[in-house]
Amino acid sequence: MSHPPGGPVPEGYQVFDAATLPAGDNVNPYAFCVALDGRWFLQKGKMIAYYGQIDFHGIGHGRLDRLIASSFHSPLHAADWVVAEGRGKLLLADRAFHVNSYDLQDGNLTVRAGNLLAFDPALSLKQSIVPGFLTLIGTGTFVAASNGEVHFVEPPVRVDPQALVGWADCPSPCHHYDHAYLQGVMGGVRALTGLGGASGEEHQFEFVGAGTVLIQSSEVLMDERATGEVPQQAGVPGGGPGTPGDQGTQGGRGSPQVPQLPGQLGNIQRRFGL
Amino acid sequence: MAEFRLQGTKVLAVTLSGGGDAVKAKNGSMVAYDGEMRFKKLSGGGEGLRGMVTRRLTGEQLAVMEVTGQGTCYFADRASDISLVRLGGERLHVEASNLLCTHSGLRTGTSFTGLRGASQGNGLFTTTVEGAGWAALLTDGPAVLLRVTPGTPLQVDPGAYVAHQGDLRQSFQSGVNFRTLIGEGSGEAFQVRFEGEGLVYVQPSERNTLGGEL
Repeated sequence: MSHPPGGPVPEGYQVFDAATLPAGDNVNPYAFCVALDGRWFLQKGKMIAYYGQIDFHGIGHGRLDRLIASSFHSPLHAADWVVAEGRGKLLLADRAFHVNSYDLQDGNLTVRAGNLLAFDPALSLKQSIVPGFLTLIGTGTFVAASNGEVHFVEPPVRVDPQALVGWADCPSPCHHYDHAYLQGVMGGVRALTGLGGASGEEHQFEFVGAGTVLIQSSEVLMDERATGEVPQQAGVPGGGPGTPGDQGTQGGRGSPQVPQLPGQLGNIQRRFGL
Repeated sequence: MAEFRLQGTKVLAVTLSGGGDAVKAKNGSMVAYDGEMRFKKLSGGGEGLRGMVTRRLTGEQLAVMEVTGQGTCYFADRASDISLVRLGGERLHVEASNLLCTHSGLRTGTSFTGLRGASQGNGLFTTTVEGAGWAALLTDGPAVLLRVTPGTPLQVDPGAYVAHQGDLRQSFQSGVNFRTLIGEGSGEAFQVRFEGEGLVYVQPSERNTLGGEL
């Protein structure tokens, strides 16, 4: 048996090298290859391998400061992002989840913060006013992960909260409750205790209007990523006084909000992994 | 001679023909069998007392059992993908935790890999598999096989590295600078650089590594 240099190859697998890796396409459903010539933004720790000369910079003060202004608009969550700079082929993957690339053509797409892996600096990334979501605006490519394949549906549609990945071209998202299940004394008992035949499907997100809704084919949530603090202002969802019913948490479920001094970069607690 | 084949992508079926036919498999990875099978725990990866001490010292511990008998035995581990390699005398370097099953004719050992392990928490050592026969590797998600040629070195995240074969030199590359210390790190502070001629197996997922946080 003759082997190519490097030895035998497992059956059913293709060997890639620097030249045969696809440029800007999936290597398999779980890994994506970026042909880098310039800069790309990545979420921390999603690079698995690369060919060529590529440097990784944490985003912060310094010479990349201007990039934050043009592509992030919010320095507060920039600490979770890395700039890859150089030339070569870069492989991205995330915990063996399905990975897909999306092309935005002068459009907008809102995605769950934990699902976004990487994006072209031609796009700009902003915090969505829906807590835990980020919005990409402009023309360019981005890469997002999902648990199972992504399906595109047109509104009007109701989506299970755990299956929602994001939405494009601005349909209007709102909550929807199954009225019959929540009504009366039995409804209260069901809601509080789950007794009396709760199906677990009493609450959905409802989308209406023109656009596209992205859902994943499982109800396994990706890890939440902090999307940054929002200004402490009346009228800002999750932003403090003036919003009754606000639990004072946002950007990462259950992470208590730490008072921030103006000008401070990011959440110190998160930064040090405490 | 034990016959290895994949049942789907996540289950390995090994047909044993009795007599001295045996395979070494990760402890507890049997999910089903038909026929007659015997399972025997091998201390220290079945490499004798010296191997046991080496593995204990290097932290590259292999919890291995020897499977003998007649019939078909099925192996799987946490729905990980499996890749089957048929070695013809070559040497394969693989992380101990990524080795599912090998033909008993293959020799396993430990080798020093340099500083790579330090960022990984897996120790400074890796497992080598050498000889002729089948070896089955575990990867979280289907493996991506990347070729290294003299003109195109490859950099790999330590958490995604699974195995390599061929004539490769590995070196440790670090991007730690003062910004890492003040918490402005890139999350990609450590990489393993492979140079030479060979193949590297990468999984589309990262183990939790010490270096991954920096």
